[in-house]
Amino acid sequence: MIVIGMADYAVTRSPEKLTTLGLGSCIGIAIYDPVTKIGGLVHIMLPTIENARFKDNRAKFADSGIPFLVEEMVHAGASRRRMVAKIAGGAKMFSFNADTNLNIGERNIQATKVVLAEMKVPIIAEDTGKNYGRTVVLDTDTGIYFIRSATKGETQL
Amino acid sequence: MVYDVSKLTDFHYSALKEISNIGIGHAVTSLATMLGNEVKIMTPNLRVAKIEEVAEYSGGADKLVSGVLMKLSGGINGYMVMLLPLESAQLICKTITQEESPDITNPMNESLISEVGHILGSTYMTAFSDFLKVDVFASAPFHTYDMIGAIMDNILIQMSQEVEHAIILDTLFMLKGNGMDGKILTLFDPISLELILGHVDAMFH
Repeated sequence: MIVIGMADYAVTRSPEKLTTLGLGSCIGIAIYDPVTKIGGLVHIMLPTIENARFKDNRAKFADSGIPFLVEEMVHAGASRRRMVAKIAGGAKMFSFNADTNLNIGERNIQATKVVLAEMKVPIIAEDTGKNYGRTVVLDTDTGIYFIRSATKGETQL
Repeated sequence: MVYDVSKLTDFHYSALKEISNIGIGHAVTSLATMLGNEVKIMTPNLRVAKIEEVAEYSGGADKLVSGVLMKLSGGINGYMVMLLPLESAQLICKTITQEESPDITNPMNESLISEVGHILGSTYMTAFSDFLKVDVFASAPFHTYDMIGAIMDNILIQMSQEVEHAIILDTLFMLKGNGMDGKILTLFDPISLELILGHVDAMFH
């Protein structure tokens, strides 16, 4: 099991698993090629690298992290045309986030969807929004994306 | 003067720890009074960590805790987070409501834990206010029972837009006799940190 931190990513192949822990407003984007069984996971924090003060880590932003992940997967031997995505996270953990027009979780979800659509990687399943945290595991053998939460149990995408 | 948080002197470290120590002393005493118990406070820990690693340093990104979060404003800006293991949160509810096995996610207990967090947070911040001679306000408390990573990532996202490193002051407190413990974390924005360290330098140099 490869553990991916915040603003981090990894690419691997079957039978390895990829996980990232405790997603709140962040998003865990899992991309999978079912033929080569190559999978990638990126844990993004923010929608866009544009105007960001620190741009050194591409994996931190949806609009730089997703293309970066796709590139790395192609490099590992995955086919871009076969790639499918599953996404989880983007919660609004606390209501005070509402006072600032910055519902960062929602903005992350929107940006993730726009970027994946632009890259023509279809989102085949998602578990996003709401108000609780998620730990995710991508099984590169089956392509199943496991979502575990504190109080809602485990689901499979 | 601009302080690079990754290059703080030992003197700055000690001063921050000392202020924090006084703050937590007041805070935990108020908790002890509420719960009628004796308190033990460990020496505060002060760490500089990359924003991305803060949740890991705070106890593990997927560890389940009862978390109370407050935004700090006024003379200094930042966040304060109280993290309690489930048993500690239940113990607080039990002590106050006499309920046998309290469900910490019911609204009554949630607001109770939030209030305890708020009292602790405000008392703690009073030490900073007194030291800096500025008013510091803690926002209304928000409580949730969830993974540490999820509780903290919004704060970290906000901070990551301005800084690459965060100063984490964390203090472990324990109530003797009943095995209760918990953690208080404070994260300051860079301007507030300059203010605090500026005061420290002015006082001692």
